[in-house]
Amino acid sequence: MLGIALKMLFGDPVKLAGLLLGIAFSTLLMAQQGGFFIGLISRSANIVMEAQDVDVWVMDPKTETAEAPTPMRDVELYRVRGVEGVASAAPFVQATATLRTAERRSATAGFLGIDDGTLLGINPRFVVGTPEDLRRPDAIAIDQLGFARLWPGEPLKPGKVLEVNDRRAVVVAITEALPGFAVPVVVYTRLSQALAYAPGGRNRLSFVLVQTAPGADPAEVARRISSQTGLQAHTSRALQRKTIDYVIANTGIAPSFGVVIALGAVVGVLVTGLTFTLFVNDNLRQFAVLKAVGVSGWRILGMVMTQAIVVAFIGYAFGLWGASAFFDAVDRPLSDLKGFWLPWQVAALVAGATVAIVLLASVTAIRRVLALDPAVVFRS
Amino acid sequence: MTRGVIKSFGTGDTRAQVLRGVEFDAQAGEMTFLVGPSGCGKTTLISILSAMLTPDGGDVTVFGVEPVKLRGAKLTDFRMRTVGFVFQQFNLMPALDAAENAAVPLIVQGVGAGRARKQAAALLDRLGLGAHLDKYPAQLSAGQQQRVAIARALIHEPRLVVCDEPTASLDATSGRAVMEILKSIAVQKNRAVIVVTHDNRIYSFADRITFMADGRVVRTALPASLQEYEVA
Ligand SMILES: Nc1ncnc2c1ncn2[C@@H]1O[C@H](COP(=O)(O)OP(=O)(O)OP(=O)(O)O)[C@@H](O)[C@H]1O
Ligand SMILES: [Mg+2]
Repeated sequence: MLGIALKMLFGDPVKLAGLLLGIAFSTLLMAQQGGFFIGLISRSANIVMEAQDVDVWVMDPKTETAEAPTPMRDVELYRVRGVEGVASAAPFVQATATLRTAERRSATAGFLGIDDGTLLGINPRFVVGTPEDLRRPDAIAIDQLGFARLWPGEPLKPGKVLEVNDRRAVVVAITEALPGFAVPVVVYTRLSQALAYAPGGRNRLSFVLVQTAPGADPAEVARRISSQTGLQAHTSRALQRKTIDYVIANTGIAPSFGVVIALGAVVGVLVTGLTFTLFVNDNLRQFAVLKAVGVSGWRILGMVMTQAIVVAFIGYAFGLWGASAFFDAVDRPLSDLKGFWLPWQVAALVAGATVAIVLLASVTAIRRVLALDPAVVFRS
Repeated sequence: MTRGVIKSFGTGDTRAQVLRGVEFDAQAGEMTFLVGPSGCGKTTLISILSAMLTPDGGDVTVFGVEPVKLRGAKLTDFRMRTVGFVFQQFNLMPALDAAENAAVPLIVQGVGAGRARKQAAALLDRLGLGAHLDKYPAQLSAGQQQRVAIARALIHEPRLVVCDEPTASLDATSGRAVMEILKSIAVQKNRAVIVVTHDNRIYSFADRITFMADGRVVRTALPASLQEYEVA
């Protein structure tokens, strides 16, 4: 019987194409927008995620997001160092400034000032140069996407000179750092230099980066730092979460993506529902014949559900293939959407949504088939 | 087979009694024609006989079974095993080829696809369609499609075969061919075949003809005594 159901389905290529298109489209839209959304909000946590070897981040109690920290007094560094379980603690400054090239191109960059001595918190992936190069005068390391923006078409090479707030900066290294949410270009430099680039006085410490003692639980150390210093302390992971939550709560991104995703689902339900109802309607006489030759309502239901589920499966496969092809295409070193991916959680959620869409879409069709009077087979 | 069967459609003012106490018999081993003016209730009657409609009153017995009393699985089982159908519009499934269409009742009964197809092929061969097993309904002539439908009506060896206007969509020649097949293959010792028709050119195939008018059976006759209808 299921074989017959499938033959009915594949015997009507036009409606089959309509069904698949409807589902593939909404799956594609939901997965693409879902992945895009995750990729976009995750950018806000990139500076945390990419900081090497940091176990605990300490910040001012008023800081809500890693991208816009409230400055702390410089002495907080020493107070943190005194807490049990802290093996080493380094200062970290995050400032925003505008880069200008000799060719008069400019870009807003996030300056990540790392401890001159330990270089703790730097991104480990260098395309050109090494972290050690940052010890040279006026040295900065720029991310490759930023480099491509400021010097389009030029090979990734050190030696470029920039102006930042009337001060000189020399590109000595190029990193693979991923762009942030608020800052499209990521620059690593020594702490002292970052402070010099961004005007202002002392006491502009953004974070204290902590490496915990071997065997110590970072979450426990973070709690201890909070209670002993009155500062805010989080593990790397917790700060990433907090930052992403902040972006979701404080920007219109979530609702606007939500609307598009919901629209995808609604279009999916409508197109699929309409086409599936048409399909079942067209085959009503065939279903009546089957009822007449002794197929029970349950088996008819099974046939219709099989058709719906097969359509859902194939449509989902096409849609997801399209979405992952999109993310494959955009995740290039020099693409604006670098670092975007399709999380499996999004794929799973979309699969669930697809099943729901198809079930919802087949309600009318199923009711029609179940209510069908087999005696219609005698009417001409 | 039926005693005093009554059936109405509609409600209130629009309610119309279509069958007004039908007394009807068909014998196993015979082909019984059911004829009468349009709207007199022939289709309604065979729908009741084949358990597709429930009458409002009267008794219906089909080979000792009272389909009116069947419910749920017993009812579908009755349709599945006891009845075979041939329709004016053939009602074949366009996505299945000839052999698959003929095999549908076996598949419904749970016979494996391979075996069902083999049996269907053998029967189609007897019906002169051995060369067209793989063809889809759209690739067959009307007469060939009706023969596939006949194969579907007979494949599971039902005891009752009901045919509603089986020749109405066919030209005279294929109509006769279809009736010849029905007569020679469908009619068997323990099977009753009922043919509803308007087509008096095929009356000669009947073993017995029952006339209906306005919801009642008015007379039953043997085809030999029917010269006057041949001209009518
Ligand atoms: N489901 C239904 N609902 C309402 N009225 C119906 C229904 N089925 C049949 N009728 C009516 O019952 C009457 C008898 O119908 P039926 O189909 O049994 O006649 P028939 O003898 O087969 O006619 P024909 O030769 O035109 O096929 C007709 O007037 C028809 O309109
Ligand atoms: Mg009729």
